Amino acid sequence: MTESTLFTLAFVLYVCALLVYSVALFAAREKWLKVGFILAAAGFLSHTAALIARTVTSGHAPFTNMYESLSFLSWAIVLALIVFGRSSRVPRLGAILMLIVVGLVALASSPLMPKGATPLVPALQSYWLWLHVSVTLLGEAFFCIAFVSSLLYLGADSVEKKERLDALSYRAVAVGFPLFTLGGLVFGMVWAYRAWGRYWSWDPKEVWSLITWFVFALYLHTRIVMGWKGKRSAIIAIVGFLAALFTYFGVNYLLSGLHSYA
Amino acid sequence: MRSAWKFFASVKLAIVLFIILTLASVLGTLIPQGRSAAEYAARYGSLSGLFMGLRLTGLYQSAWYLAILLLFALNTVVCTISRLAPKWRRAFGPAPETNAKAVSSMRASSRFRLPLPLSAARDRVAERLRSRRYRLDESAQGGSIVLLARKRRLGWFGSDVVHAGLLVILAGGFISGIGGRSSDLSLAEGQTVDVPHAAFQVRLDKFETEYYPQGAVKDWKSTATVLEGGAPVLTRIIEVNHPMTYKGFSFYQTSYGWNWADARLVLEVRKPNDPSFLRTISLKAGERAPVEGADVTHVLVRAFVPDFVIGEGGRIQSRSEEPNNPAAQVEAWKGEERVFSSWIFAKYPDFGQGHGDDPMAGAKPGAKAEAPKLAIILKSYSAAPYSVLEAAKDPGVNLIWIGCLLVSCGFFLAFYWPPREVRVVLEETQGRVELAAGGQAWKNREAFQSEFDSLFESIRRPG
Repeated sequence: MTESTLFTLAFVLYVCALLVYSVALFAAREKWLKVGFILAAAGFLSHTAALIARTVTSGHAPFTNMYESLSFLSWAIVLALIVFGRSSRVPRLGAILMLIVVGLVALASSPLMPKGATPLVPALQSYWLWLHVSVTLLGEAFFCIAFVSSLLYLGADSVEKKERLDALSYRAVAVGFPLFTLGGLVFGMVWAYRAWGRYWSWDPKEVWSLITWFVFALYLHTRIVMGWKGKRSAIIAIVGFLAALFTYFGVNYLLSGLHSYA
Repeated sequence: MRSAWKFFASVKLAIVLFIILTLASVLGTLIPQGRSAAEYAARYGSLSGLFMGLRLTGLYQSAWYLAILLLFALNTVVCTISRLAPKWRRAFGPAPETNAKAVSSMRASSRFRLPLPLSAARDRVAERLRSRRYRLDESAQGGSIVLLARKRRLGWFGSDVVHAGLLVILAGGFISGIGGRSSDLSLAEGQTVDVPHAAFQVRLDKFETEYYPQGAVKDWKSTATVLEGGAPVLTRIIEVNHPMTYKGFSFYQTSYGWNWADARLVLEVRKPNDPSFLRTISLKAGERAPVEGADVTHVLVRAFVPDFVIGEGGRIQSRSEEPNNPAAQVEAWKGEERVFSSWIFAKYPDFGQGHGDDPMAGAKPGAKAEAPKLAIILKSYSAAPYSVLEAAKDPGVNLIWIGCLLVSCGFFLAFYWPPREVRVVLEETQGRVELAAGGQAWKNREAFQSEFDSLFESIRRPG
């Protein structure tokens, strides 16, 4: 099967997972949750195959333009859902995450995003491309889990649910923050030094990843040292994800700088 | 002094600084950094003076931003040190006073009797704990034995290692800022230049641009040789992402171009009404060359641009350094009389075969000259390519990598190396041993509970 067939199949499976997760909000939960999870996992497998096919045909990492990186980010979010979502037993989490994934995949497939695999410009020809982008996007996928569980926390009605969502949000940050630091900042600095001769240039994308880092550092300090939990923590996690989203997406379109690739 | 210490030991200060740094950094991405005063004046009008006075236009290098970073560093140092002692005791200190009752009230606990003498019971407990990689500290407290078993003790110091790493990174950044040197070296093939701030030279042996079949640039390759005292000591191919390093300097492929000012052009002079007439002339911009034959005595090239465009006010200029639309302003003379004058285009040979003195005549679309006697074609053009290498010396960079390593290790310790602690009190009564145990983990409590349970099950019923 070709990349686009596999990608479309993944999209269809994600939509099915979204529908089933939505049903689980109202109907007998456990059974539907299981089906939703299986559909999401099947979509994930198909998506993985699509990414591999893309890598083989293009001969480079599958995240060198906006279409590819959106596709990879949605893949990473499903991975984070598979890692965390099953044990969390929060039906709404699955539903909202799948909604985000379907939205991202649809955006990637839209005519706004050129799909052609273009040859790599010299600056991107480095194995640091793999390390820097994949680890950063994985970190951002876990921030996305923290974001959704924090949103659900703000809307939750029972103490027990709130506790579960609060803990889930923290666990997601505990995975996402080290990944983001390593991939976004450390690997980014190493690569910048190899390619441009400077590990830090105060380029808007660099500054925004630092801002994201500050927000999540604030999250951890207020939580661990000052014992903030619940609502205030949830708000910081939401702000942090929005900063990460702006770093990933907004900087490219609103601010100009060195990161003019994707 | 004490109040200053207290001020910097506060986490609240850290939180305020986080927020200030975040907002300041955001501001720096909204105002373009490091542009000219004229550009700011055009963009912000009367506010531009204020912005420049507050250094919002070079925000990340401004004294006030650096001062906040310095405060932040002090805050980190003091916070970390003031919290170190209790953690150190917890991780490495001696076993505290305890008793059976106290350990039984810990989060995980177990209590049973062992039909063994005290020393044999102690050996069995110690052996089991060691097999699970716990480190033991033993003390005798009023006839009973207290075992303090700890593992993953470095996990206590994850955040401290991260903080140390950040301080090292900040120090590296300051050193880079103060001691860093960087300069661009433009080199034609065969050219040798002195490297600024260094006692050696660099020669460009060869420069190539590789293209993809579709035409996009695939790679630039500069073969460069380091010369010390005139003798070659190192030859490397420099590519983007593959710098050459020598004695603390790194050489990066940063740019490239052609020396168009010294371009060699090949012109063909033809007569439309005499197909047998063809003269090929090779010359440079600014030069004149004789032409044998009637109607014309010599041609000269007034100017050459690699990427012809008509700029503001009808001024002809080059859009870029790329040879996208090479054009030459050419004149033909017959003695003292100019018989031909026009811009001619390598890619559009039929365009611009105009007469007259108006240099724009040929460039205007649709401007047809009447029955030209002469046609001059820009057959080919070539200029020596040059490569721009950035020679950079960054004395802070090794600290940056050490700091990054510390931060990464610290994160691992903080999030994935949670310490565990087990306390066991053994008391001998009537030939049997009363065992009371308690345990605590600081993360992943379920996994610890199951380890604790299986540990004491194996002590109670060995084999």
